[in-house]
Amino acid sequence: MKVLIVEDEKTLAYEIEAFLKKSFYVCDLAHSFRTGVEQLELNQYDFILIDLSLPDGDGLEILKTAKKSNPEAAYIIITARTHLKDRVSGLDLGADDYLAKPFYLLELQSRMQAIARRKFNINEDRIPMGEFSMDIQKRLIFYGEQQIELSRKEFDLLSYLLLNKNRVLTRVQLCEHIWGSFAGDDYDSNYIDAHIKNIRKKLNAYAGTEWLETVRGVGYRVKK
Amino acid sequence: MPVPNGLKPSAELVIGLKNNMKLSVKLTLFITGSKLVIVLIFITALPFLVKEIASQYTNYTLKQQKSKVISIVNKKGLDYYLQGDDNYGSYTLLKEEFIAFVPVKEKVNIDTIKDARRIIEGDTLNYRILSHTFRNNSKNYLLEIGKTTNSIERYNKPLQRFALWVLVGLVALSILIDLTFIRVLLRPLTMIIKSKLINRKFPFKKGQKRVPTSTSDFRYLDESLMMLMRQIDEAFDKEREFTSNASHELMTPISILQNKLENLLNDEQTSEASALAVVETMKTVDRLKNITRSLLLISRIENEQFIRNDKVVLRTLFDDIIEEIRHRLEEKDLNILVEIDPGVELHDVNKDLLSQLFFNLIHNAIKFNRDKGTIFIKGFYGEQGRYELTIRDTGIGIPAEDLPFIFDRFRKTNLHSHVGYGLGLAIVKSIALYHQIHINVESRVGEGTAFRLIFDDRKSG
Repeated sequence: MKVLIVEDEKTLAYEIEAFLKKSFYVCDLAHSFRTGVEQLELNQYDFILIDLSLPDGDGLEILKTAKKSNPEAAYIIITARTHLKDRVSGLDLGADDYLAKPFYLLELQSRMQAIARRKFNINEDRIPMGEFSMDIQKRLIFYGEQQIELSRKEFDLLSYLLLNKNRVLTRVQLCEHIWGSFAGDDYDSNYIDAHIKNIRKKLNAYAGTEWLETVRGVGYRVKK
Repeated sequence: MPVPNGLKPSAELVIGLKNNMKLSVKLTLFITGSKLVIVLIFITALPFLVKEIASQYTNYTLKQQKSKVISIVNKKGLDYYLQGDDNYGSYTLLKEEFIAFVPVKEKVNIDTIKDARRIIEGDTLNYRILSHTFRNNSKNYLLEIGKTTNSIERYNKPLQRFALWVLVGLVALSILIDLTFIRVLLRPLTMIIKSKLINRKFPFKKGQKRVPTSTSDFRYLDESLMMLMRQIDEAFDKEREFTSNASHELMTPISILQNKLENLLNDEQTSEASALAVVETMKTVDRLKNITRSLLLISRIENEQFIRNDKVVLRTLFDDIIEEIRHRLEEKDLNILVEIDPGVELHDVNKDLLSQLFFNLIHNAIKFNRDKGTIFIKGFYGEQGRYELTIRDTGIGIPAEDLPFIFDRFRKTNLHSHVGYGLGLAIVKSIALYHQIHINVESRVGEGTAFRLIFDDRKSG
């Protein structure tokens, strides 16, 4: 998949590029309004990430023009501007998602995956994990044809790990994804561990869960 | 002015009332009082004054009569009166006045007005008598003109009464005029108080209007107040702008830090030991991010960037929040009791903000609770039909000396617990202010804390 990152903060753009490259996205960078518009005229992209506050123009304008040259692309606005107004006008102009800085690259990637599934009709019915499988759309977990009940939070946790498989997810990243603004301020909490323990307990009744790995001191990972 | 409520000693309350008098009332009392004093002085002095005036006037008439008589004598000779006799006497019918010429020895020289008795035809009467000696045809004569003292004082009483009525009338009229004038005079002051001081909501409204007045003092007061309000607004705006800009500006470097750490963690070349350090650093960055986000949230609330048009079923909102944080309750083995009527609905609110407010309060109730403790959440209609909500915990409590500061930014109470960065309650305060929710806090150290939220009556139903 081809991604254009329009972001004037070069260091940030490089970090996004480095992260996405690992997931086999091909990235182009544009550090200004002008270069962004140029790139859009020359190439077709699957994803376009746009920072709203550029030194030489408004990101929303890029969104407008890009919609004409790249109508098939998926648009994600990334910005430090948190005005509700910007969010609404961004989504009104046809952006597919909106991420407020600072965000975890993991979060960005899983949003991109969600958009891709929706937009490009990538329909992996059930994603396998060990001897289990997950239907993300229907929020169901199966062992063969046997359905396994997980709580809402447990499902969120497991699906996030699965969508980011082969990456280690830290407790802070998981907390932010699952509780968002309710994450609170207890950084040494073991809520995530408690949830993982419950998930393992429920799944172990059917089969092993070696694929759900604890990375000591760091976090968790779903291995392929 | 309202009397401050609370349990104040009654003596202080009485003094408080006296000290709380309005200027117009004070002026009225002063004017009425001073006029009464004048009336009293006048009433006391009136008999003496009237008597004095009557006496002076009598003396004056006596002197007039004397000059008239002397001029007649000079013109027509003393014989005009004497008619050959060596003395002359005449009196009015009721003996109220008399005139007499009597020859006296040489070298006697009298010119007086005195009260004395005279016997006229067997009646002894008190007279005011003018005595005057003069020479006529080389003889010395004494002229006496008398008037009974009774006749002098005859008009004193009615005169006094009349003067009194006139005075009372005039005083009443002047008080009336004064009061009207005071009202007119003080009207700008009343308007300044009404428009600038009573029920002020902060931040102040822009475009304050000047109160029309021709009194320079009031104009000065009004202009000074407006200037002060403008300055406060400006300072507040600046602070808001700074917080907003500073937190915005911090977001980009935090983003970079956070994403660099993420990439570092995912790098195959990062050793296990380094990965642990990266995770620790990520936690710290996350803390920094949360503080910055909280500041940004407060400044966005203060800048009124949230729309308040949601309808919220309170019970559902609480159920959702409790579902979100059930894991925390379980960790401390806490019991939570929610008594909220499922029919209670809030309108014209921002759901996300209210949710954040309740979350922060419940979060605190969990954080500062003891293991196996309880959290009580209870909603009811209180005084004046306002909806009230209490969130009470059985935790460590807040010392009385800390209570006034718990809503301040970055003020760290409960120092022993080493948790909390002092923004949770600051957020609660700004959200409550934004929704006109009044908050009361009661706390006992070792027993627990209760936050009582009183909603604006227009918001619940």
